[in-house]
Amino acid sequence: MLKSKKHVFWEALLITVVIFLAGLFLGMLIEANNSTKISDLYTQSEISLTDASAAARLTEELELDCEAIRKANIDLADRVYEEAKLLELYEDSGKLTNSMELLHKKYDLLRTLLWSSNQKSLERCENYNLLVYLYQYGSEETEVKATQNVWSKILLEVRKENENILLLPIAANQNLTSLDLLVEEHQIQRLPALVINNNQVLYNIENPEVVRNFLG
Amino acid sequence: MEFLTILYLTYTFISFYFLMIYVLTYTQNKSQLNETFKTDKTRSLSIIIPCFNAEKNIGKTIQAHLDSDYEGLKKIIVVDDCSTDNSAEVIKEYTKKYKQVMYVKTPKNTGNAAGSKNYGSKFVKTKLIGFSDDDSIPNKNATSKMVGFFNDENVGAVTSRVLVTGKQNFLTKSQAIEYKIIAFTRKLLGFLESIYVTNGPLSIYRKKAFDEVGGFDPENMTEDIEITWHFVSKGWKVHMAIPAIVKTYPPTKIKAWFHQRIRWNVGGLQTVAKYRKQFLNTGMLGLFIMPFFMFSWFLGITGLFFLAYRFTNYIIMKYLVAKYSVAANVALVTMDNFTLNPSILFFFGMLLFALGLIYTITALAYSKESGRLIGHKARDIFIYSVFYLLMYPPLLIVSFYKYMRGYNTW
Repeated sequence: MLKSKKHVFWEALLITVVIFLAGLFLGMLIEANNSTKISDLYTQSEISLTDASAAARLTEELELDCEAIRKANIDLADRVYEEAKLLELYEDSGKLTNSMELLHKKYDLLRTLLWSSNQKSLERCENYNLLVYLYQYGSEETEVKATQNVWSKILLEVRKENENILLLPIAANQNLTSLDLLVEEHQIQRLPALVINNNQVLYNIENPEVVRNFLG
Repeated sequence: MEFLTILYLTYTFISFYFLMIYVLTYTQNKSQLNETFKTDKTRSLSIIIPCFNAEKNIGKTIQAHLDSDYEGLKKIIVVDDCSTDNSAEVIKEYTKKYKQVMYVKTPKNTGNAAGSKNYGSKFVKTKLIGFSDDDSIPNKNATSKMVGFFNDENVGAVTSRVLVTGKQNFLTKSQAIEYKIIAFTRKLLGFLESIYVTNGPLSIYRKKAFDEVGGFDPENMTEDIEITWHFVSKGWKVHMAIPAIVKTYPPTKIKAWFHQRIRWNVGGLQTVAKYRKQFLNTGMLGLFIMPFFMFSWFLGITGLFFLAYRFTNYIIMKYLVAKYSVAANVALVTMDNFTLNPSILFFFGMLLFALGLIYTITALAYSKESGRLIGHKARDIFIYSVFYLLMYPPLLIVSFYKYMRGYNTW
């Protein structure tokens, strides 16, 4: 007669656990690999930032050509922007570890340093525009997420049509002391906000034209 | 790790586990799936057919049982549950022609199948007692393929494989696929002593076991699930004979289908409530059947909430982005929208879906009726896999609500 095959319960459990652990391990490996990639890019950007900051200091001290500092800053910001896009992509797919969140924070700090190092250069040179886009990181509110999505598109459009823009998107809710000081200095009341050339703060951007009107 | 990620991983793990149980059971018992046993002695059998307003099909059902090749079939007892149509006349025509056929009528309408089945059982004097719905057509050899299982004195019940017949539309085609998968799965569960229902279209019980559990529970809306759990809880084995085929007419309209499924699910919940003390207790009922039943509910309902939550969020987000983008006069869609970097959860989901699909195809290929490999069009399998199965989770929620409200309409 038919015999019971109850051992299947244990076999199935074992196989499921093995598949699951293998899957999780693979997932963590992929996330770790992504994290390493971003870390390498970050190191490169960090070097560029230090270089740009040193150049900015030299520009001030030796009154060198403003064009050099404009080019260095904009190139760096553009590169950081591209790296941030990749980071965001990896962040969306990273579900098992929080390594990407930490990297995101490091990038925000990097951009804050870039913002801060541009304070005096911008004042003296006035040959480019600085757009600092302060947004909420990890917001669960659909309304906020949708608004920030459209702001990103508007700012990107403005940036693409004007080579003299240094665009810095920064997550303002990352508990970074230096960033908090800058936010306080510009009296930012809510997020998202756009700081234009360190003297104008916008909380509503209906269309790209609104931003264009404030550009020099 | 986010709560939703943990929920998703839990969901996937449980689904994987159940699927793996089926896959292993299938691979280890492939050669025994069609196994039937020659009966060691002729066991006398009575078939009871509860009938209520079934003038259209009752004749065909009686005739199908009369055509049975099982020599031990002594009586076909048709229980008229005070039908208001022409059923009684149709049945009486058969009683005149065949002395095997017996007509009995309940004193008053019992309101459910359990009542008339129990009433009919009072007239049974045979070793085996079988039950068949009034619109079910068993194959000629269905009964003889089932009775051999009773050679094992511990077997209390044997059930058949139900396939659908009748009108063809998207609903009945989906049900045809569903019934095959259910039958295949039930057979696999048989190897684990975990069959949880002996279907209404054709099931045979050992009379001793039937008497021991006191017959069907008339309070339960799925008396065939309840009695099976009762058998298992008393230590009786339940088997399924795959080659014993019985055809049934499924609901052809959504409303009737919905009503039937609500009844099945509410009945399932009634049974869980009745046997709750056995949960995680010794025996297959408490250790597998009940957890399996409850996890199926959990998976169905959490899956629906998960999907609904993600889908609603996605739609609202897309709507708002489109609305604001139009207002801002910027591109609705950019290249960034098309980046593809799926997470590990996506791969888990895809693996689960692929395994599920392979299981479905294996079940269909195994149950093929025609000469074709699967016997169903890809379109019908797609409709079943996507739309038909998606109707189930909301049904579970409605059933749960109705159960809580004390729903007991047959």
